[in-house]
Amino acid sequence: MIRQQHCLLLNRAPLFRLVRLVLTVILSIMLMPYDAFCQSQDLLPVDTLKKLSMEELMNLEVISVSKRFEKLAEAASAIQVITKEDIQRSGATSIPEALRLATNLQVAQKNAHDWAISARGFNTDLANKLLVLIDGRTVYTPLFSGVFWDRQDYLLEDIDRIEVISGPGSTLWGANAVNGVINIITKKASDTQGLYIEAGGGTLLNDFIGLRYGASLSPDISLRVYGKYFDRHDAVFPDGTDASDSWRMGQGGFRMDAKPSAKNTFTFQGDYYNGKVNLSTGGNSDVYGSNVLGRWSHAFSDHSEMTFQLYYDRASLTQDVPESRTEDNSIVLAPAGTLKDDLDTYDFNLQHNVGIGKSNRVVWGLGYRYTHDVVENAPGLAFSPNRLDRNLFSVFVQDEIKLMKSLLFTLGTKIEHNDYTGFEYEPSTRLQWNVTSKQTLWSSVSRAVRMPSRIDRHVRLPTPGFSPIVDNLLIGGANFRSETVIAYELGYRAQLGSKVTGSIATFYNEYDDVRSTSLSPPDPVYGLQFPLFYENNLEGETYGFELNITYQVFDSWRLRGGYTLLKEDIRVRPGKTDFNNALNETADPKNQFSLQSSLNIFKNLELNAGLRFVDSFQFNTSGVADTVSNYAELNVKLAWMPIKKMEISITGQNLLHNHHAEYVISKPNPSAEIERSVYIKVAYRL
Amino acid sequence: MKLSLFIFWLVLSLTLFAARQEPQPETSKEYQIKAVFLFNFTHFVEWPAASFHEPTAPFVIGIMGRDPFGSYLDETVRGENLQGHPLVIRRFKSLDDVDACHILFINIADKEEIKHVLDKVKGKPVLTVGDVNNFARQGGMIRFITESNRTRIRINLEAAKQADLTISSKLLKLAEIVETQSK
Repeated sequence: MIRQQHCLLLNRAPLFRLVRLVLTVILSIMLMPYDAFCQSQDLLPVDTLKKLSMEELMNLEVISVSKRFEKLAEAASAIQVITKEDIQRSGATSIPEALRLATNLQVAQKNAHDWAISARGFNTDLANKLLVLIDGRTVYTPLFSGVFWDRQDYLLEDIDRIEVISGPGSTLWGANAVNGVINIITKKASDTQGLYIEAGGGTLLNDFIGLRYGASLSPDISLRVYGKYFDRHDAVFPDGTDASDSWRMGQGGFRMDAKPSAKNTFTFQGDYYNGKVNLSTGGNSDVYGSNVLGRWSHAFSDHSEMTFQLYYDRASLTQDVPESRTEDNSIVLAPAGTLKDDLDTYDFNLQHNVGIGKSNRVVWGLGYRYTHDVVENAPGLAFSPNRLDRNLFSVFVQDEIKLMKSLLFTLGTKIEHNDYTGFEYEPSTRLQWNVTSKQTLWSSVSRAVRMPSRIDRHVRLPTPGFSPIVDNLLIGGANFRSETVIAYELGYRAQLGSKVTGSIATFYNEYDDVRSTSLSPPDPVYGLQFPLFYENNLEGETYGFELNITYQVFDSWRLRGGYTLLKEDIRVRPGKTDFNNALNETADPKNQFSLQSSLNIFKNLELNAGLRFVDSFQFNTSGVADTVSNYAELNVKLAWMPIKKMEISITGQNLLHNHHAEYVISKPNPSAEIERSVYIKVAYRL
Repeated sequence: MKLSLFIFWLVLSLTLFAARQEPQPETSKEYQIKAVFLFNFTHFVEWPAASFHEPTAPFVIGIMGRDPFGSYLDETVRGENLQGHPLVIRRFKSLDDVDACHILFINIADKEEIKHVLDKVKGKPVLTVGDVNNFARQGGMIRFITESNRTRIRINLEAAKQADLTISSKLLKLAEIVETQSK
């Protein structure tokens, strides 16, 4: 991609005008007098409050308006929350490692720097059915609707929680929330005051350092700045040799929160990162980017709050693409080269929560996203057109209706307009029955779509060395449509006695128009059926359940168990074909089990362990199924606090094998495996 | 861009309309949360058996001074009991009324008056709770503080011990521990 050195805003006059308009509107609203402070507060149901733990009570905002809307909606969905304490205790060193704590996700580490992560299946190499947000900023890439996990990072100490919702969340959350939403929420600047330093190193995580400083600029304004750096060792091939896929990255950023009055809150934050990844296939890849985000929430009254959010994100990639040859190595199809991609995203979002009468809670919103993508093509991997501007408009409305005291009915839809397929509708209905103060039964039906991404329509695998017989091995499908799902869910959440909480979420999903790969008609001379191209010839069903139980054995010992069953029947639509025989979209274990234990041995000594079992699964090798074996793995962290402000810990990861495979990308090339590793960390909070 | 302009004006007018909506009657969410804290304290504090005359004697939460909870504290404890002791709320008009209770929420601003109340229950197994400045440092056992819009607690462990009350480590872990300031 051509790197734009000059100001992009000035380059794009219509966009500039839009931004200016938005700013003007925001300013004019800000200047309006809304000073009649209103004393009354939203009352919460007493039963809801009594269900909360002391920690949760302490986290409740004394003066809040709209959070409650979210909380209620969440209760009636397959949500699992990874708390800051969970993250710290697990010894996770990256966001994907922390995501292993959510038992409703499929998480597979591909190599030293990359992961495949999905919910309710479809965890393929280019997994594309998840919406991932960091503080409201969407981080899946429109290149393939998936997430580059080797560029999503944060100082884990400053993450407040990660909400993982399996199942469609498209109505409220928006584009791409087909199978789930991961919502990473960092702490407010006011909660990260003072100095924090962490440093350490080990066998795989060679060395790392993290630093944060937070200060109050005034009683109402808090700020933090942070920086971090790590250097990760290579994974190994099955024979134990280095996979040459080491990864190092630095990141820095800031967050400012201001609450000038009880009715207004402002957040302004930004990050910059720069990383280098070595590739097993040869060469390396530079990942770098930056973002800034501003958010303003205004409470008009206790029953009406509006949030505006604007962000800009730039994500750049410079990646070496290896030479491609025919299977017998006789012909070089395309020489080695470099692919560059620069993606600019401008996003505006507005959301308004408003209570109407006693029994209606309405949430509605508008969104606009503009992306500008420029690819500099490699000889063997290309996008056509290489420059592309896309607009995404969305509007949604949802009403939560209190039918009876303990019965809530939610109805809503999102309407999106994208430049590929035009209008898309994503409606959902939900019924929540609070059986008792400690039990909730819920059910929902929703429709979600995965809109086409760049890869579906525009990718090319050119073969200049074989031209003119074959020009491309693979091309995007000019007529590629949106993939759709209709999801039926039934769930139950309960507190059983004072020590046990549990939830189960069952689902049945009907997919249609899922991506397939078609063959071209044979050419008259050689009978070759290239190029392959993408179509929507797959359909099928998935079903299963996610079970999660937490047991507080003693005050000092907590156990958490999770089991996920996933069955998938994805097939080629009658009368159609798929080059991959419907094997390419599902690389998912049928059974997953996890057990996490948190034990305080003494007041200043903690022992934590996480055991996981992942079933074997099948993956696609050019239309033939191959298998990744099942495995069990164990992480253990021992932490000692010699003084209150200091923690010294030793963490062992993947302790049960010398190395094990979690994923296989492409045969016959060997895939990386994950080694047993240990690291030591010292953390100091001032 | 004309469409966007229209949409923004639509939004504006809607929000202005919404802003005009009537607020609901006054009750503070802050005290709703504090009421639940009071109720939860019954699970995290151990009272000596002698503080109950008989196995079915009520567990009394007393309020001294103006009642900030409205009906909320009553709703919170309705139907609840602690090991067979039904939870009841009593509101004390004056210092002379204050008698046998297990938790005493003191909502008095005047320092001297607070001191009188604390003196009155001194040595008795009564968990004193308040939210005025310096409540815990003055000898009260638990003080609510609002920090960054959230409710935190401060505990005077020494004062609780003197009253023969055992506070669970789980609660202590979440609290800031302070001592009585001699003065």
